[in-house]
Amino acid sequence: MQAAVASPRARSDVRAWRRGLLIAPALGVMLVFFVLPYLNLLLISFFTPSHQAPYLRVLTLANYARVVRDPFTWGVVWRTLWLGALTTILSLVLSYPVAYHLARASRRIKGVLMILVISPLLVGVLIRTYGWIILLQDTGVINQGLRALGIGRLPLMYNQTGALIGLVHVFIPFMVLSLAGSIQGIDPELEMEARSLGAGAWRTFWRVTLPLSLPGVLAGTVLVFVLAISSYVIPSLLGGFTVLTVPILVVRTITELFNWPAGSAFAILFFAITLALVWLYLRLLGRISRPVT
Amino acid sequence: MAEISLRRLTKRFGTVAAVHDLSLTLASGELVALLGPSGCGKTTTLRMIAGFESPTQGRVLLADRDVTEAPPEDRNCGMVFQNYALFPHLTVHQNVSFGLQMRKVPRAAIGPRVDEILARVGLGGLGHRYPRQLSGGQQQRTALARALVINPSVLLLDEPLANLDAKLREEMRFFIRSLVREFHITTLYVTHDQAEALVLADRVAVLIDGVLQQFDTPEAVYRRPRTVRVASFIGLTNLIPGRVTAHSADRLVLETGIGPLRAHGPADLRDGMDALLSLRPETIELGTRGPAAPGDGANHLRGIVRERAFLGSLFDYRVDVGGGTLLRVQSGVTAVHQVEDEVTVSFQPAAGWVLPGGGG
Repeated sequence: MQAAVASPRARSDVRAWRRGLLIAPALGVMLVFFVLPYLNLLLISFFTPSHQAPYLRVLTLANYARVVRDPFTWGVVWRTLWLGALTTILSLVLSYPVAYHLARASRRIKGVLMILVISPLLVGVLIRTYGWIILLQDTGVINQGLRALGIGRLPLMYNQTGALIGLVHVFIPFMVLSLAGSIQGIDPELEMEARSLGAGAWRTFWRVTLPLSLPGVLAGTVLVFVLAISSYVIPSLLGGFTVLTVPILVVRTITELFNWPAGSAFAILFFAITLALVWLYLRLLGRISRPVT
Repeated sequence: MAEISLRRLTKRFGTVAAVHDLSLTLASGELVALLGPSGCGKTTTLRMIAGFESPTQGRVLLADRDVTEAPPEDRNCGMVFQNYALFPHLTVHQNVSFGLQMRKVPRAAIGPRVDEILARVGLGGLGHRYPRQLSGGQQQRTALARALVINPSVLLLDEPLANLDAKLREEMRFFIRSLVREFHITTLYVTHDQAEALVLADRVAVLIDGVLQQFDTPEAVYRRPRTVRVASFIGLTNLIPGRVTAHSADRLVLETGIGPLRAHGPADLRDGMDALLSLRPETIELGTRGPAAPGDGANHLRGIVRERAFLGSLFDYRVDVGGGTLLRVQSGVTAVHQVEDEVTVSFQPAAGWVLPGGGG
């Protein structure tokens, strides 16, 4: 009797275990190429800096103490987060209308729009960024046009504006796709119903469409924010020497100052800060959007 | 006062006319069913009234006001969709409050009004629930409450019962009817279900391929269809082609492949016209004896039962009456005929309705 009861459960356990095997390859790749290097970084951050070797295998907390005490560090952290926040907000505002149209378009138009939306990703990051340099530099196409119109020159490059333009451009596809998936799940009749109940288009958006698309907003903003604060090529090329973000500083500490432990400590610290911020954000917004899901 | 008046409404999508030259006027407090097969332009018509589609031609008047150009939020239409379109992120109470909030009703007045209407539709005490925590019938009631609480000038229902199971659907028919009566609200009820239309409506507007075929009482639409398409769309009918040979007022004789048949029809039929006799299966009587009382004015035919199906409350026969004509006959279960039985087939002239047009 007991065996008869136990055996189906045992069988389903085996089945669940076999299903689990399917994720083993992905898990293996993550472990070897992501988790282990990160653990290595963590380890290095506790080693002692040296002039003869990348580091000495002597454990210390001095790296963290130095990074945390240095006001310069916090300035860079703050500017990086600020650039990430600006990129996220700008991407969200620019992407929402596009995502809405994408979600509501007929199947044929949807395909065309989709290709247009992901087009920034079809060009390599260096080529794309050099393209922006041609457009944005002082003698670039945009400034030539502005001068011809008598408006004068605008500083569009080698500053935060340049970095922001480059980042927003490349992260818009991520935002649009996250939002469109969510908006597509909203029955258009809900918006019609709101209109017939007396809500204008604008109030229908604030009261119905936006709240129901919050899961997409959540996914898109977290994705873009995390990508923006960790990007290296775009801020360093379009921002020049005036924009100093955490990834740029980490790379310089390691490759120019040859201080591997300090760079690692800074990277780990920033990782912890990012994790805490994202967790807080998801908790706050997640609570608002909970009844939807 | 006419609460809804459609004047020569036309809607074209590209070259296709979804609705063609539709004129319809609903009296105050009237419940009209807009009936037609799927894709006939019913929903397009409803959306033009509510303001979600703009007509290619024609005018929409609500409460004697031309709203053709007005946005949906300025039309004061109560709307219930097939899927109810309840806001999933709001509770039942918040859903029903929505329209009142948009109308800037003071906060203190909203609560009691919402509670009152929720009690009326039988949802008292469920206000705190979210739509997904409700049954289909409760969601339907919520949608009705939300549409009615704003005191709309008209109520528009788009296939409101299509997603309910058969038993609940029947119950909700009567519930909707009593609500509409109680609130005395002019209602347009879109449906493809003829039984629903006949049971619910004061008048039925039959729309086929975007053209209004007939606008009349349920009984008239069923008994005196104006076109062949109405006759064959609503209920079951036998269509027998023939030619009008004699007529006086609405009485006439139709020469058919199974002999001359006495029937009635619209007054504009002329001798020699090709016509179709529409004969409802339940108006035909089957008998076992020879031609009973030929002088009674009824039509009498002889036939052979070819098929029989049991439908519970009645039998569904297919009777061969010669001339390649199979008549569908539905009759009670008291007199039972077997397949291959010879039977007499009779019907009163008042049962047969003649429609202009031939072939079918």
